[in-house]
Amino acid sequence: METIINDYISRELVQDPALLPLANETSLLESGILDSLGLLRLVVFLEEQFGITMGDADLLPENFASVNTICAYLRAREPRKQKSTRG
Amino acid sequence: MGDKRAWKSLRKAEALAYWAVGAPALARLPAALGYRIARGRGDWLFRHRAERRAELARNLQLVLGDELSPAAAQQITREWFRLTSCEVVDLKRLRHEARPLRRLVEIRGREHLEAALAAGKGVILCTGHFGSFLSGFSVLHASGFPVTTIGRWHYNYMGGISSAERWFWDRVYARPVRRHQQRPNIEPWPGRVQVAALASAALRANEIVTITIDAVPLGSDRARSVEVPFLGRRAGLLPGVVALAQVTGAPVLMGFLYRAADYGHQVWEISPPVPVEGDTATALGRCAAELSAAIRRSPAHWGSWCSTGSLADLGLIGPQGDGSPAAGPVLLPVGRFIQDRSADIFPVRD
Repeated sequence: METIINDYISRELVQDPALLPLANETSLLESGILDSLGLLRLVVFLEEQFGITMGDADLLPENFASVNTICAYLRAREPRKQKSTRG
Repeated sequence: MGDKRAWKSLRKAEALAYWAVGAPALARLPAALGYRIARGRGDWLFRHRAERRAELARNLQLVLGDELSPAAAQQITREWFRLTSCEVVDLKRLRHEARPLRRLVEIRGREHLEAALAAGKGVILCTGHFGSFLSGFSVLHASGFPVTTIGRWHYNYMGGISSAERWFWDRVYARPVRRHQQRPNIEPWPGRVQVAALASAALRANEIVTITIDAVPLGSDRARSVEVPFLGRRAGLLPGVVALAQVTGAPVLMGFLYRAADYGHQVWEISPPVPVEGDTATALGRCAAELSAAIRRSPAHWGSWCSTGSLADLGLIGPQGDGSPAAGPVLLPVGRFIQDRSADIFPVRD
């Protein structure tokens, strides 16, 4: 999961080559990698890649602070996703 | 000096009284009478606010240049004050499910909104700080269209404003509008990176998201602004409307709310979808061209004439408010636009 997300961000959202290779713990917000439209693109990618739907409550900056926090957020969602699939 | 301060206090008191008492009372009168009185107040402001009047006329001539004679600039300036006064009455007519205002607003292009919503990807309704746009969004919502606005309640962020004043503006200005929205305003401020994603969520719910493309870019957003032809010059506008449309597939419709000659009636003119294919500057340029045409058709409707700072920040006039063409978007401190507005107490335009 980390590799997929890191690859996407490195390929599509990082505009400053000096930030590459992107470490999983690099702050996406403080480094300026993720702006408003970047986050939108990332959300669309995550939804398509992992088959999830993100609501307003999921769109918290802390969920997208780094590749690691994105993965932690997605893993925390998994039980919810399974539950909603069963339901 | 003392006289100037006393005059400023008097002006502030008059404005507060107008927002709190005068306009609500006018909104309860028959529309013809209420708006006639509001127009009269606009004439009074035109006569007595010499500095603002001069600033407006100067900005009009700097931007529109040879298109405008001094007499025409004065006429537009007078009209601008009249519209300012009437817009407060519009807000106060949003009570009772906005019926008092809905009776006065015709929606032309409703079919474009309905057709776009039928496609299920939501609609981006793009406009400018033009006419009574906020009340107009409320009218659309009260007419059955789910509307959410991307925009800032700037009194929440201005320096030098007390919590009591914030409470006041929230009560008299924001609250009437908030009643007629699908969701709270999506407020783009530095560090709020979820703005586009929130707008996308509203679009996926097949709602109408409104955007004003002439908003002055904040400091953190300036690098993203794109230079496009605007009012015969070049302005640095944020391309969010185009990017949002390209990512979500939502159509972009342009909409402008024009006030009729009787000052009471208004017409929403909503366009068919504007193409957003191609590169960002070209697509954004199409939207800017529509706004330019609306402003040229009725210059007094554009609220931004009053703020030399915001015109400079957009790159329409020189950084000192002079006629020198700006080489591009002028990089001024973030707070300048806000400070310009905070010098006044009218949140809408004046």
